Amino acid sequence: MSGVGSEYHNIAEEDALRAQWYGLLAGLLAAPPTPEMLKKIGAIEGDETALGQAVNRLAAAARGTTADALEDEFQILFIGVGGGVLTPYGSYYLSGFTYEKPLAKLRIDMLRLGITRADDVYEPEDHIASLCEILSGLITGKYGGSADLAKQRAFFDVHVSPWAGLFFKDLEAASGADFYRPVGSVGRLFMELEGQAFTMAA
Amino acid sequence: MSEKKKETAVGRRVFFKKAGLGASVIGAAAVGSAAKKSTAAEPSKGASSGAGYRETAHVRKYYDLARF
Repeated sequence: MSGVGSEYHNIAEEDALRAQWYGLLAGLLAAPPTPEMLKKIGAIEGDETALGQAVNRLAAAARGTTADALEDEFQILFIGVGGGVLTPYGSYYLSGFTYEKPLAKLRIDMLRLGITRADDVYEPEDHIASLCEILSGLITGKYGGSADLAKQRAFFDVHVSPWAGLFFKDLEAASGADFYRPVGSVGRLFMELEGQAFTMAA
Repeated sequence: MSEKKKETAVGRRVFFKKAGLGASVIGAAAVGSAAKKSTAAEPSKGASSGAGYRETAHVRKYYDLARF
């Protein structure tokens, strides 16, 4: 294939959906939702699958709360004074501390993939929201070049799969989590699906 | 696409369909949230072939489809 669109591979329907789910998780974990975003979450409809039911619980939770209340909940869970209830960074889950080897490895891989941290972001790149955003971009081909499954899987296997499930489980069980409890469920279930689907390509 | 790749693609499509990925109106919420302030990752300038991110007709269609 050559020509203007040659960097773009046709995004299969299931991959477009995966990118959207990663985008949803990234949006939910990067910052508390705006009133507008909360409304959109409240309109999500899931089916009878486990993931569908989890997203229904999330939508119901969204309809039952406000952006203001979620600012507080987000603060308690992730920021806090001297640290939130949870520390959603790969380095923390894998080594016990932030700014550790997992972050260094991630930065090297990001360099290879042609991805940098945005100028107005000050958290280290191994934040769960950032990783979800990167995966979404790898799927859609946002970072130029091939966004093939092998590349996605390599990234997932090294930087996400070892700890994301644990984090989402922690989020489901975290004291102070209310709206973010079903966020944890959605994240845990989606990560399980991703892991299973990647092994199908072996 | 090789036969093996085709098999994998079909397998994944069926898997995700059964898992409920498509049944939710995720698009609107996701597209909205992705555009928000916290863009943690951006394409490095000059790191790729320079094509970066462009809205080809094909990408536009993806976003249109995502808008339920």
